[in-house]
Amino acid sequence: MGLIEVKHLSKNFGSFNAVKDVSFQVNEGDVFGFLGPNGAGKSTTIRCLLSLIRPSGGEIKFFNKSLASHRLEVLAKIGCIIEKPDFYKYLSAQKNLELFARISGKNIEKKQVLEMLDFVGLAGREKDKVSGFSHGMKQRLGIAQTLLHDPEIIILDEPTTGLDPQGIIDVRNLILRLKNERNKTIMLSSHQLSEIEIIANRMVIINQGKTIVEGGVQELLDKQSLNVEITVDRPEVFEALMADKYPLLPVHRLYHSTYYITLETEERNQLTEVMVASGCGVRSIVPKRSLEDFFIKIISS
Amino acid sequence: MLWKNTQNELIKITSKIRSYIGIGALTVLILLVIFAMQADGKTYIGFVTSTFEQTLTFNGNILNGNLIAFIIMQMLIVHVPLLIVLVTGDLLSGELASGTIRMLATKPISRTGIVLSKWFAATIYTLIMTLWMGFLSLFVAHWIFGTGDLMVLNPDGLLILPSDDLLWRFGISMVLAFLALWTVATLSLAFSAFAKNSVGPIVITMAVIILFTIIGTLDVTVFDDLKFYLFTTHMATWRIVFEDPFPTEDILISAMVLLGHVVGLLLLAIYRFNRKDINA
Repeated sequence: MGLIEVKHLSKNFGSFNAVKDVSFQVNEGDVFGFLGPNGAGKSTTIRCLLSLIRPSGGEIKFFNKSLASHRLEVLAKIGCIIEKPDFYKYLSAQKNLELFARISGKNIEKKQVLEMLDFVGLAGREKDKVSGFSHGMKQRLGIAQTLLHDPEIIILDEPTTGLDPQGIIDVRNLILRLKNERNKTIMLSSHQLSEIEIIANRMVIINQGKTIVEGGVQELLDKQSLNVEITVDRPEVFEALMADKYPLLPVHRLYHSTYYITLETEERNQLTEVMVASGCGVRSIVPKRSLEDFFIKIISS
Repeated sequence: MLWKNTQNELIKITSKIRSYIGIGALTVLILLVIFAMQADGKTYIGFVTSTFEQTLTFNGNILNGNLIAFIIMQMLIVHVPLLIVLVTGDLLSGELASGTIRMLATKPISRTGIVLSKWFAATIYTLIMTLWMGFLSLFVAHWIFGTGDLMVLNPDGLLILPSDDLLWRFGISMVLAFLALWTVATLSLAFSAFAKNSVGPIVITMAVIILFTIIGTLDVTVFDDLKFYLFTTHMATWRIVFEDPFPTEDILISAMVLLGHVVGLLLLAIYRFNRKDINA
């Protein structure tokens, strides 16, 4: 079942069309990557999903119910971070969570607030004012706020923005824990394409306010050309082989005996066998296919 | 949910330093007036009574708690709105400026509920400020200066109100002062729904009060019809409570005009906030 269904969403700010025609579906249990270059309309779409912005057209459904007519019911089942989480700086971390817990639509005890602070690694800092928190700590507090009412859907807009490498890894692990241990449906917008490739099972790419492609991450990547890095012991044999058998394949020499080749799907299986048989001494064949390549190819086309 | 969010709003107000600036400034101002009156009140009274000394003889305690309370109210009715607006003008726009509105508006509470809970909190804050002003000006002044008849200088002449006829009048004047401050608080909340920073609504509210007050005092016929509809005209109604005979009809009309402003401005704030795209 599609937990989130977006059909032909559009949003105009005066004469500027920020979102023109965005459609996608997020299924139960998905970690759904929401990708697009800067200015593609990602944040506007997410704000429409959270009813921060009123759409100009199209339809948004959560749990098969229209967001427009079931707004409060839907929001009670969603947890979100939009860009950087902002808190009341003059209040403590615990007090901030208690404020949001009170209006979450669920009865959340003080004990649960403290447990959640512990879950995100802020135990011992609960009485500290948020004004003294680092960006990473605020991000963790934002995640605590998102999870506090045990939502069915979690929407994260650029949750790793401004985090150091360890912070990015922490957030990635947290998302994987939420998916694996708590079976949450997660929609994730990020510029960290490598992160999306690791943790998302489905994705949509939007550009200039329109949906470009939607589907399973692996399915989409499998359809595209494969880049491989090949290292051999006898480069002269390898070069002769390529000139003879694959004269049309672009072969780039990276180092002394390392080459970079782009293969189509049908050529993948065959090449390994031919190379071994040629006696060029295959030392390694490393696939270099990545979401980054796919993303750049899609956007530039 | 509405009550729970009102509780949240009250927690936010009581946790901010600026909320205590108003109460602190009010306390200092009133204590300063009381100190000044204690030090040199007789000279101050002398200016008023000297005009009448050839025709009237004044006996008893003229410089009493009732007169001090009356003077304090007259002085502060201009300044207290600024102290109120410091807090209420920040209620919506402050959340937009800090980005916390995103967190708030994605919780299962309606936009109308958000505005109403902020308005309830603003109302409670205004009520506390009014009661504090009343307590300091009336009870502290009575404690220091004692009680006595109130001498009120009206355009028609000098009116002496007996001390046992004053408590209820002060009570009604406090209700009217609250209505006036409540109107100002709601006005700043309505401006706050349009703005993206806290300074704008505070400055605009004060500018509107100053502009309307100036229009109200201009003796130009072209503004005569307009004056009745300006809330600032009715902000000074608390003073006519100390007239004799008691002008019931005028007071009720002013109260209704102020209440009408409160309701109208609240509806404007709700309408605007419901239509607002939160891009912050």
